[in-house]
Amino acid sequence: MLTVAPPDTVELRSNATFEALMWALSRPGDIRTLPEAGFDAISETLVDLECSAYADTPAMRERILATGANLSDRIGAADYVFITALEHAGQQLAEIKCGTALYPDDGATLIAAAAHLGNRVRLTGPGIQETTEITLAVSPEFWAMREMLCLYPEGFDIFFVDGDKVVGIPRSTKVEVL
Amino acid sequence: MSLASLTKDWAATSYGFLDASAKRELRRKMLKAIAVPGCQMPYASREVPMARGWGTGGLQVTLTLVNSASVVKVIDQGADDGVNAASIRRFISRVSGASETWDTLDATIVQSRHRIPEEIMREDQVLVLQVPNPEPLRGVEPNISIARQMHADADYGKLWLTLYEQIVRKGRIMQGASYPAMVNGRHVMTPSPIPRWDVPKLNMAQHLTFLSAGREKRLHAVPPYTRVEPLVFSDRPYQVEDHADLTCRRSGVRGFFMNELPQDGGGSVFEVSDSNLGIKAIDKTEGSAIEIGETWYRNGEYSA
Repeated sequence: MLTVAPPDTVELRSNATFEALMWALSRPGDIRTLPEAGFDAISETLVDLECSAYADTPAMRERILATGANLSDRIGAADYVFITALEHAGQQLAEIKCGTALYPDDGATLIAAAAHLGNRVRLTGPGIQETTEITLAVSPEFWAMREMLCLYPEGFDIFFVDGDKVVGIPRSTKVEVL
Repeated sequence: MSLASLTKDWAATSYGFLDASAKRELRRKMLKAIAVPGCQMPYASREVPMARGWGTGGLQVTLTLVNSASVVKVIDQGADDGVNAASIRRFISRVSGASETWDTLDATIVQSRHRIPEEIMREDQVLVLQVPNPEPLRGVEPNISIARQMHADADYGKLWLTLYEQIVRKGRIMQGASYPAMVNGRHVMTPSPIPRWDVPKLNMAQHLTFLSAGREKRLHAVPPYTRVEPLVFSDRPYQVEDHADLTCRRSGVRGFFMNELPQDGGGSVFEVSDSNLGIKAIDKTEGSAIEIGETWYRNGEYSA
């Protein structure tokens, strides 16, 4: 008879984190709640020795090493990019992996800390019935760069994390700065 | 960093059957599949205690999503009580502690083979379709590398040609199930062998759909509110099966997708394919306080 272990805390946290991320990406602009604030639970949920990751803080780099992932020293070499200060990432962010039309899944996932208030943007695309408007502390320059890089189906997907709240912007979403 | 922080205690089984690394890989691919609707994402497709081709792809997606608060419905060709559906449902609940249901309205995860329930799925529900062949181009291009290049180029001319040839030869489009559909105006997907009747249910749906092929090791997704347009010619409108006027012989419901049961003396009778809808209709006639949700088809007409 099959006996099944009850879920441990890591399993529960990863399951809840993934659910938040999945719905955040399925409904761009919707604010979802993570079981835990910050990047740690997200890296635990998604990153392991099969991927490469980049982080801009020593603490997060340590977390990535603990997952067994390949720690990249450039954003352009990472599948998962954890950025706490988007404004300081600058030009390097433009190197982010966008995959190819042949392999769109090679595009990176950007997990960035950004307050869910500030500049207003309008979103349209899959997951949004008509249009939705959200506020994000993200500069218009960032969106201009994204627009240039995301030549659908190439592109990268973003999670903006503010405390334990997350907003997802997949590459399929059209972002209009208001 | 210490060795203790990098390791875990030994356990005989993992929660939800799949180990943590299998789940992380599926999560990564499921997120990418949502980001590029209709585009097939390769994944490793681990072993599960079921033969490939019996719903292992759907099962792996469900096992990644499931937690002990989930309510799982599994359908095989519309029915909840088929051997395949019942076994999968029991397995999921046994390895995860999730509850089981037959009712579409109660479910949080609906895993299905070949049908989408008739009741409209809500925005907090996930539909997981088991897919035997995820490649719409297989019939026109058996080489998967070339087929991938065709997807990259959005080169679907040969698919249109097969539909055109069907019209020329037979006078109508003969494609019964797995009708190719354009997702988000970019990728053509095969929506698993659901009948033509069910394809409109994916267009601008409220729920999230994953389509996963375990044998072929690929999955794709249709996020909510995403355009799913069956390939049709402008002068040949998309036609669903001619079931609008059929009545279920057991429950008396009318205007839904039916199973045809040929009779000995010739002719045939019909039973509603979404068996739980039929059960609910019978219970209701017998006076139970049962709720039948809004349906995608009303009086045989698609109306959502």
